[in-house]
Amino acid sequence: MTNMVEYGRYPVARLAVPEWMLRVEKLGKVYGAHDDEVIASTGPESGTSKSSLNGSIVAAWDVSFEVAAGEALGLVGESGSGKTTVLRCLAGDLSPSVGNARLRTSRGEVAMFDLDSAERRLLRIDTLAVVYQDPAEGLKMNVSAGGNIAEPLTAAGWRSFGKIRARASDLLTRTEVPINRMDDLVRGFSGGMKQRVQIAKALANSPSVVLFDEPTTGLDASVAAGVLDLIRSLLEEHRIAAIVVSHDFSVIEMLTSRCLVMQHGRVVESALTDQLLEDPHHPYTQRLVAAARA
Amino acid sequence: MRRDPVLDVRHLHKSFVLHAVSDRRVAAFSDISFQLTVGEHVALAGMSGAGKSSLLKSIYRTYRADSGEVWLQIHASEYVNMCSLSDAEVSAIRGHEIGYVSQFLRPEPRRGALEIVARSARQRGMSVEDAREAAAAALSRVGIEERLWDVYASVLSGGEKQRVNLAAGTVHPPRLLLLDEPLSALDPDNRERALALIASLTKRGVAVLSIFHDMEAIQRLASRVLVLEKGRLVAEQSPKDLDERLTSAAR
Repeated sequence: MTNMVEYGRYPVARLAVPEWMLRVEKLGKVYGAHDDEVIASTGPESGTSKSSLNGSIVAAWDVSFEVAAGEALGLVGESGSGKTTVLRCLAGDLSPSVGNARLRTSRGEVAMFDLDSAERRLLRIDTLAVVYQDPAEGLKMNVSAGGNIAEPLTAAGWRSFGKIRARASDLLTRTEVPINRMDDLVRGFSGGMKQRVQIAKALANSPSVVLFDEPTTGLDASVAAGVLDLIRSLLEEHRIAAIVVSHDFSVIEMLTSRCLVMQHGRVVESALTDQLLEDPHHPYTQRLVAAARA
Repeated sequence: MRRDPVLDVRHLHKSFVLHAVSDRRVAAFSDISFQLTVGEHVALAGMSGAGKSSLLKSIYRTYRADSGEVWLQIHASEYVNMCSLSDAEVSAIRGHEIGYVSQFLRPEPRRGALEIVARSARQRGMSVEDAREAAAAALSRVGIEERLWDVYASVLSGGEKQRVNLAAGTVHPPRLLLLDEPLSALDPDNRERALALIASLTKRGVAVLSIFHDMEAIQRLASRVLVLEKGRLVAEQSPKDLDERLTSAAR
């Protein structure tokens, strides 16, 4: 072309990117005996996560990623793809078969899977919180909203009744739960309200990492929208590192900037969220996006 | 005096592999090379389907190019290659160094215009108060009345959405701004305002790469026109010599 000037190599700028808060390395979870052959007999190419050799289920394998403070990473895939397995291994609800997960905490960097159960519980109290799809997993239904929030606070050493009440009331206000419901049993709350209480409880000790497992699935559209807006504003206001597991691209698009796509226990594609939606590469991702955009 | 380019695109190729249609490969564009300097406004022209929008999206890295390089100036004489950055690095420079205004604002659900524009300003490092002030000024500049500022942007008219989008893209303009038909839905008065706004950006040193659907905008704003045909860069013209059939209004 005219006007073209051939420049040589440019001096390359080093970009500052936020440092990771949670780093997952080669995480795997297998139900049943496994060796290299069993693993190789599963995955996207085999079309299944169940091995034809011995019937073992390779629920997740070779999953690696990093999440930084102030960033939300999406885990996308159909049910059975392994995304919830990954989240539950990180939450401590499942023990992974292989892999590492390193977390930066106020007490320094920890290898999460090497901790004993008491240390894991401590981590769940003040550093890493989970919001489950089913509020019954994250809340005690026969305890009041305030009582549910008081639990992680007392576990973290809060003793003053007045201070705990004040903190609970502050959290409920932030999650838009009417304060006059604070002493009501959670059992009697609507689905959306239970989810808000669960989020308030998750935030009790200002965790640096929050895992969201299908946080709006099963809620009415308008209620889901309210919960989604709440999560969005919390992620914006606090420098939380978040992982959002969802099969719903509208949730992923609204909350995350990067995504992993999982199929049959494997990560088949990872990309910026806008790339995934506009220029998906893997056949499975193309199918998912086409289905969501139809 | 030779000036270092703000953007240097080298041999960029992009195609799509459609797995649902027996892995068919569809070329978007091939072997595109050009440069942009500080404060320069370059327009892309060509028939619909020539690859103009794909080129903008590949530079912004919404599309992942097959091969080639996109060198973007970051500091005085330092560059990054958009094609080889990690996803996290792309996130870090979007907004700061490179901005993109699309024809169709798909507004984030349940957010007002002021919030959308203020968020854009905050992403570029402004404080909360400064961002709100800048957002209010940016919305006024594109003629969005104050009574619409807290209305969910999703319920605004097409032309209003487009102006909100333009306000968000220019509130605190980055070094390089990519504009994909930012005026297509505007009435004459608002169009005039938007043209003036875009012209003022280049005066402030922002490099602009644009697609417009009409000759007049190209001739008023651009200093050079790159003509694409079937995914190839076939000519460079002066805006006054541009063949009207090459604007995308001539569909």
